[in-house]
Amino acid sequence: MKLLILDSSSKAASAAVCEDGHLLGESYTNAGKTHSATLLPMAEALLHNCSVPLGELDALAVTVGPGSFTGLRIGMAAIKGMALARDLPCIPLSTLEGLACNLLGFDGLICPVLDARVSQVYTALFRCQNGTLTRLAEDCAISIQELKQLLDTYPDERKILVGDGANLCYNSFNSRPENLSVAPEHLLYQHAGAMASLAWQKARAGENVSADEIVPAYLRLPQAERELKLKMQKGE
Amino acid sequence: MQRFITSSAAETEQLASRLAQTLQAGDIIAFVGGMGMGKTCFTHGLAAGLGIDPGEVSSPTFALVNEYRGGRLPLFHFDMYRVESFDGLYSTGFFDYLDMGGVVAVEWSENIHGALPQEVIRVTFERLGDTQRRIAIEGRVLP
Repeated sequence: MKLLILDSSSKAASAAVCEDGHLLGESYTNAGKTHSATLLPMAEALLHNCSVPLGELDALAVTVGPGSFTGLRIGMAAIKGMALARDLPCIPLSTLEGLACNLLGFDGLICPVLDARVSQVYTALFRCQNGTLTRLAEDCAISIQELKQLLDTYPDERKILVGDGANLCYNSFNSRPENLSVAPEHLLYQHAGAMASLAWQKARAGENVSADEIVPAYLRLPQAERELKLKMQKGE
Repeated sequence: MQRFITSSAAETEQLASRLAQTLQAGDIIAFVGGMGMGKTCFTHGLAAGLGIDPGEVSSPTFALVNEYRGGRLPLFHFDMYRVESFDGLYSTGFFDYLDMGGVVAVEWSENIHGALPQEVIRVTFERLGDTQRRIAIEGRVLP
């Protein structure tokens, strides 16, 4: 079974092609380019370089969120267009679970964290043992301080932060949780290639939907501790 | 904070063009002041100062955001009049525009006060007469 995986959920964009969990090729860019202009040419070049014509693909996977509002819609539109034209099933991936896959092989707790701005993060928590992820916390939007409290409940385990909010959190924690580190730069952001085995597992488990059914998974931001509006009425 | 008094729309635009000379990618300009105070006029001046055709500039009230390109930096012009919540703000794409290498100018910034970074350039309009305005600029010093 051949899969194309796309991610444009944050500043980086990537594409990967895999066959039965084996990674055939991947492409990644984090150059601040507009995903709407780069994602599809990237996927096309990758398929060409892997000698996999679009017609040989069996399913399409995409990160559906959380992430950038615009980025998620670009990935979604790209996948929907191809899936509709080819009548292919779509595999929705959690951006955070996909991010945790960067660190498969690390034994300990993996905490993917994306900057949701205004001192909020999109995060989740996984325990990784022998290359297998076990989810400890659902995808959620919480404050950086709430994340610290969550991490503090696991003082004895090794913990690693990954994602575009990792350094933000690491540097914002006033007293740093014990046994905490940050993923290295080359593993810090989403990589479609790292999600190959996750997408393959989901494809085998039948966790796919149609092009009509796949939708972005926006996480509702909690009302931040600070007020959004200045205490002054409009038009005054 | 620097305070300026302008006596016409043309003077307001000139002031904005002076501010435009200092702008860098990632700068955010937050306008404070109600209807008819000259925010759109000021944005014309910003565009002109960045080398963008000011004829491109129009009120983004219905579009939420207008993008003006073709100058030294792109200018992203938001109107937050109808934004009511953090979710609403997220779905304008505002947070994405902050990373797009341009200048973001925000009308009705009062409505997203809690989401603005500390290093914002705040431009406050005060009406002194039919065409006269006092304009205060904080967060950037004009040469």
